[in-house]
Amino acid sequence: MVLTSSARDYINRILQDISGMKVLILDSQTVSIVSVVYSQSELLQKEVFLVELVDSISKSSEPMSHLKAIYFLRPTAENIQYMRRQLASPRFGEYHLFFSNIMKDHHIHLLADSDEQEVVQQVQEFYADYVAIDPYHFTFHMPSNYIYMLPAVVDPSALQRFSDRVVEGLAAVFLTLKRRPVIRYQRTSDIAKRIAQEAAKLMYQEESGLFDFRRMEVSPLLLVIDRRDDPVTPLLNQWTYQAMVHELIGIQDNKVDVKSIGKFPKDQEEVVLSSEQDPFFKANMYDNFGDIGMNIKRLVDEFQQVAKSNQNIQTVEDMAKFVDNYPEYRKMHGNVTKHVTLVTEMSKIVEERKLMSVSQTEQELACNGGQGAAFEAVTNLLNDESISDMDRLRLVMLYALRYEKDSPVQLMQLFNKLASRSAKYKPGLVQFLLKQAGVDKRTGDLYGNRDLMNIARNMARGLKGVENVYTQHQPLLFQIMESIVKGRLKDVDYPFFGNHFQQGRPQDVIIFIVGGTTYEESRSVALQNASNTGVRFILGGSSVLNSKRFFKDLEEAQRVARSSTSL
Amino acid sequence: MATRNRTLLFRKYRDALKSVRAPSASSPPSKSSAGGPVIELVSTTLLNQNRSYAPLSTEDPGNSSKGINPITVGLPPAWVDVSEEISANVQRARTKMAELSKAHSEALMPSFVDGKDKQHAIESLTHEITDLIKRSEKRLRRLAATGPSEDSNVRKNVQKRLRRLAATGPSEDSNVRKNVQRSLATDLQSLSVELRKKQSSYLKRLRLQKEDQDGVDLEINMNGSKSRYEDVDLDNMIFNEHQMAKLKKSEAFTVEREKEIQQVVESVNELAQIMKDLSVLVIDQGTIVDRIDYNIQNVATTVEDGLKQLQKVILLFILFYFGRENSEKGRHGNVCVGASYHVLCYVGSPSN
Repeated sequence: MVLTSSARDYINRILQDISGMKVLILDSQTVSIVSVVYSQSELLQKEVFLVELVDSISKSSEPMSHLKAIYFLRPTAENIQYMRRQLASPRFGEYHLFFSNIMKDHHIHLLADSDEQEVVQQVQEFYADYVAIDPYHFTFHMPSNYIYMLPAVVDPSALQRFSDRVVEGLAAVFLTLKRRPVIRYQRTSDIAKRIAQEAAKLMYQEESGLFDFRRMEVSPLLLVIDRRDDPVTPLLNQWTYQAMVHELIGIQDNKVDVKSIGKFPKDQEEVVLSSEQDPFFKANMYDNFGDIGMNIKRLVDEFQQVAKSNQNIQTVEDMAKFVDNYPEYRKMHGNVTKHVTLVTEMSKIVEERKLMSVSQTEQELACNGGQGAAFEAVTNLLNDESISDMDRLRLVMLYALRYEKDSPVQLMQLFNKLASRSAKYKPGLVQFLLKQAGVDKRTGDLYGNRDLMNIARNMARGLKGVENVYTQHQPLLFQIMESIVKGRLKDVDYPFFGNHFQQGRPQDVIIFIVGGTTYEESRSVALQNASNTGVRFILGGSSVLNSKRFFKDLEEAQRVARSSTSL
Repeated sequence: MATRNRTLLFRKYRDALKSVRAPSASSPPSKSSAGGPVIELVSTTLLNQNRSYAPLSTEDPGNSSKGINPITVGLPPAWVDVSEEISANVQRARTKMAELSKAHSEALMPSFVDGKDKQHAIESLTHEITDLIKRSEKRLRRLAATGPSEDSNVRKNVQKRLRRLAATGPSEDSNVRKNVQRSLATDLQSLSVELRKKQSSYLKRLRLQKEDQDGVDLEINMNGSKSRYEDVDLDNMIFNEHQMAKLKKSEAFTVEREKEIQQVVESVNELAQIMKDLSVLVIDQGTIVDRIDYNIQNVATTVEDGLKQLQKVILLFILFYFGRENSEKGRHGNVCVGASYHVLCYVGSPSN
């Protein structure tokens, strides 16, 4: 079972048994949850003729008793408050309440108290509490994602909220899968340990009845790891389609905002990149830039053929065929335009920012050795006027992460150069990153230079030569997945929680990265799943990162850390 | 996929809380005994499904706006009837479509009976369906109409708008209407497409048949002409007559078929026009307009616009009144008009 289809099934079930005209009321989180798996036209087919947010629906008091109201909300205190007010003066004929996660008894009590008019027909928990952006990739929309970087003492309540949201979301994933997992976590990460602990408490103690599913031979595995164990992946420029679009332009809930590219009419200011809805995207989302270019050209040629035959209308039959095929033709046209626009824009950005040379150095920093050569390359790029601030920052960060112990003097030189060149650079950010994710803090063998096996493997790769210098990087996640498949994930680095234990290897693994995932990693997961090893991986995170977002998290965390120490 | 039903627990709480609430409402001892509310309580829970009465209002002084249950007052707006009419048309069209399929296949079967009534049946069915679709499409357009009517009396107009904008969320009902319209448009478009496909396949098979017929005729012709150059034979003469008769018959047949084809082509054109109109209303799947979150955002902006409209309308109102005052009073009015013009312009500009 994949998460995208499960989320869809939940929504289908919500809508199916309620007849007549309906209004669907969502909150700001469930809007994302629903929008990535269900379309407006599908809602219309199910006679849902109005969709509103729970906070804006309370602004009006116009009665619409010919509509039945379906609420799909997260069970938060705020939403319960909105519901109470709306039940007290009901506008709609019937009220059907669905919550995306486990409700507290106390909340049910409050709602029952407000339902004096007895308009509520049902109250249900349907556990679609995650944004299923791809079949094996989910995310939560954590508002203050950076909080995971800070020790609990800085803002304990914010961290608690963060942890709660993650634990609830993970619980929802397992309730969807109807399994209860064995839990492992990254030893060196306090927040990972905390989340593992609270997830175990929820699933094995507080709501153990709810999670008491039929036990299969092998339990699934929940592995909670920390973004800071692999800070390199979010910093790299990407060259495979989905990851590249997110890095250079930005994807949110499978939508791309193209306003920055140029002037478009209102209904084309955003485009949808969804593997479920766009077969061309599905076929190309993990391919590299060169191949995409060729495939798009082929797509354009195909389209031009169709367009030409459409212009050649001579007989009535041709006309009839044109009218028949017009919707298809229009869809094809829209799709081709979308991809051509995106790829053209990305090519432009690659040119302007000289990303080919930047990325080459990045990949060297991430994958190969040679401190001296690396220092020289980075210095040259820092000196280059046309390199953007963002790229300068990422290069210095990558260098620092790799060579932080090697040559402090040279490192210092780079810091100074960076500060002098980039006006917007927040001083000390690189050092902050090192404090968060430096070699002393990391568990995994990020550069493959700790573990003998990894060193050997790297040498072999170096000798073989790499197929494509720009995509040689493998995220640390890949190694973790390999170890799990071989049944050799080290206990000492990723201990089991409490007395959980697992003999052999699991069949279903949910890997949750506290701090966020990247599309490079979700690609790795998808390719791993496609290789049919008998283990199925699902990846989730508190957000989906690109370098811009990662910088923002670092800056926010740094700012808050500073202001708290100054208190 | 796990789910959990909390309705029972909810109802338990709701009933428990109700029994706690009701006795406290009728606290004055002079009122009829506590038995009264209790009995009525029972009857309300039993008659839970029936909403056409006002439930017991708890005489809670805090709830000043209780009174009539808004649910009993709300009748669906008039356009709901239009949408139901269109849905019914769509249903009828679908059944007729099934009949048409049958008629098509019957007409294409080889038979010795003159197929004139069959053709007639097909024609009339096709016309009916096209008619239903056209009518529905016209009604559909009317579904979209929202704004106030063009009234020559400006004051009435302004008042109406004010009342409308003040009383309702300016776009909620129009959103529902728009969505109903879209959904029906999709249905109509798929109907049209289906009808077109049926017609074109019928056309095609018809043509094939005609060709066969022609082919047969051709053969007979050739044979006939050959026989002319042979010895005049009694058999040949008879053959000639047969041949002439067949020729005439096939000619009439051809003319008949041509007429049919012409009619089908006409309805194809009609439907093409309808499809073009409908395609504006139908959502392109897989694009941003098919995204729920995009549509919600659009609601937000139209609410904002509604508020701006409201501001403008209020000021128009003021202006109008001052204008009237002006014509009656004289100098004083001028200043007021000037002031309100000023204010109107200020508000008119984007105030964000």
